[in-house]
Amino acid sequence: MAALVGYRKRRGVELFMLVLAVGIGFAGYVLIHLNRDAKLPAAWPWALAALAGVGLVLHLVVRWRTPYADPLILPLVLLLNGTGLAMIHRLDLDDSRAPHSAELQLTWLFVAVAVCIAVLIVLRDYQVLRRYPYLLFLAGLVLLMLPLLPVIGQEKNGARIWIHLGSYSFQPAELAKIVLVIAFASYLVDKREVLALGGGRFLGLDLPRARDLGPILVMWLVSLAVLIFQKDLGTSLLFFGLFVMMIYVATEKPSWAILGVLMFLIGAYGAYLSFGHVQSRVSAWLDPFSNYDRNYQVIQAQFGIAWGGIFGTGWGLGRPNLTPLAKSDFISAALGEELGVTGLMAIIAMYGLLVARGLRAALGARDPFGKLISAGLAFVFALQVFAIIGGVTRLLPLTGLTTPYLSQGGSSLVANWLLVALLLVITHQIRKPAPELPAQPVVSLAADTTQVIQVDRAASSPTPRPAPPSSPDDELTEAVPSAPTPGRKVSSPTPSSPHDELTEAIPSAHGSGRTEPSPTPSSPTDATAPVPRIEEQP
Amino acid sequence: MSDLVVLGLKLGYLALLWLFIGFVANVVRTDLFGRKVPAAELAQAAVAATPTPAGRPQRMPRKVSKRLPTTLKVTSGAQAGVTVPLGSGILIGRSGDCQLILDDDYSSTRHARLTLTPSGYQVEDLGSTNGTFVNNQRISTPTPFGLDDTLRIGRTLMSVER
Repeated sequence: MAALVGYRKRRGVELFMLVLAVGIGFAGYVLIHLNRDAKLPAAWPWALAALAGVGLVLHLVVRWRTPYADPLILPLVLLLNGTGLAMIHRLDLDDSRAPHSAELQLTWLFVAVAVCIAVLIVLRDYQVLRRYPYLLFLAGLVLLMLPLLPVIGQEKNGARIWIHLGSYSFQPAELAKIVLVIAFASYLVDKREVLALGGGRFLGLDLPRARDLGPILVMWLVSLAVLIFQKDLGTSLLFFGLFVMMIYVATEKPSWAILGVLMFLIGAYGAYLSFGHVQSRVSAWLDPFSNYDRNYQVIQAQFGIAWGGIFGTGWGLGRPNLTPLAKSDFISAALGEELGVTGLMAIIAMYGLLVARGLRAALGARDPFGKLISAGLAFVFALQVFAIIGGVTRLLPLTGLTTPYLSQGGSSLVANWLLVALLLVITHQIRKPAPELPAQPVVSLAADTTQVIQVDRAASSPTPRPAPPSSPDDELTEAVPSAPTPGRKVSSPTPSSPHDELTEAIPSAHGSGRTEPSPTPSSPTDATAPVPRIEEQP
Repeated sequence: MSDLVVLGLKLGYLALLWLFIGFVANVVRTDLFGRKVPAAELAQAAVAATPTPAGRPQRMPRKVSKRLPTTLKVTSGAQAGVTVPLGSGILIGRSGDCQLILDDDYSSTRHARLTLTPSGYQVEDLGSTNGTFVNNQRISTPTPFGLDDTLRIGRTLMSVER
């Protein structure tokens, strides 16, 4: 019998890894001060308590609500977050204009963790997210377009991706990312058969039907609108890439992916020709030194990473403040400078592992919605990390995305912790043992060979009435006179019960008439058996 | 602080980062295929009418000699819960000279035999009427029988335990 595969809870592993993650994040904080002042910072117990408290509370909530959740997600995220906090704190030390952004970020971390815990407590079953695809899609679009509104929208650093409510500013695209993943997943679960239908063939490629191109065109136009009006390359790339990837996962048709890439290339080239800000980004990517002043940020980041070298300058010993926006967009350059390529690679590896856990959840999911939503969350995360770290390290044109968990910014933090909560809920449901675990002992009755059932004639022969062929169970249970032993019950003679063992145990070779089974000579070893006792587990 | 200490702390921190990744990779590795739930455990869980408890991982035995089972346990059937020490081998059947006397209508007098061989225990049908099943396959020749296997005679399920 093939052993079923189940997952362990592994909460102990998670606790161990969380302790390690908190320790590493805290070690970064302590090392900054040791390296700079050769003494422990005054606030170290508070920093440790804050980080460890966050880890402990999350761990307990996970133990309580989602005990089968993936054990690696929380430690990886907490380590990235701790490292980011330490780096923001380190940048605060040399930043006279905003010397308390680490404290603010820590406050936002508490808010984000509270949101995560709320989702863990409220959301028991991720299937409820499936109910409102179009509403969520509209909500996502509204969130995306919110910064274009005249009063609350605000242009900052060349991109109009912020909204202002009072003294708080928020980047709604971060939240839209998750809302749209859910919307796409629920939409594609319903529509994937249609979208998978082939149209014509072209160059050996099954093209989708022209009438099914609507959704991808809508997303293309939305992405172009984001690119044109909000001047934000990253967000535009993120959403279009997300949609193309999810449609590919849903339909398993490479033609969608190829079509999407072609549309992206067309859009990107058109944008390059038409918009100055795209051209400047591309020139900063390909030839930053052509205009030192305009590309100052990118060039400083390159210098910083180059100075860091393999092992980095050490926490607190570099000069990452020379790069503008080092706390938010360019935090990976700051980390590359102080931790070196070794540290930056470790951080990228952690992102990679986080994405891998998401994709693993998608592989393990039993339902298409779970597959799509976890693959979508993992992919949007991967694309974001790829775009921003690729931009900072000049692999790609720079895009104005945040580095999840590392960079400063409350909305990004809240949105990405929301993503963590969703992944935890989904992995919990995927990994927990199936509730439909067979209550009966696993005995394949089909493997039974024909067996002869000895019937006590004295008890049953006086009433050999022919039973209607539609209810064989009824008749057979009459033939079994054994009283139910305490704790076990004889199977009830409901004709509708398909799992009645007796009816299946008696091969149909006993005749279609279904009269009482005649006593057949059997081997002497079996002769003492008056009747088979039927057992059912309660 | 001296440069040497700074360098040591720096390298130590980076090593710790990669150690963390190593731990993560190890967890990923052990998590890759989930946990094998032996059929016996499923049957036990069915008897207890509770979902499968997440117990210790039961890996496939690497060295047979180290992981020999010691007892045979009836996991389901009229005599569920009965255990018999295995020793060098036992006889199963309805007869009084069997080590495990089955109260099962489909069992023969001397139904099957578990014997210890250099490669572990094996089960052998002794010409029974209704057959001996290992993992729901009727056996006709001596068959190796390990921790993950389930023996069925009539309506009785048995498995071995360490």
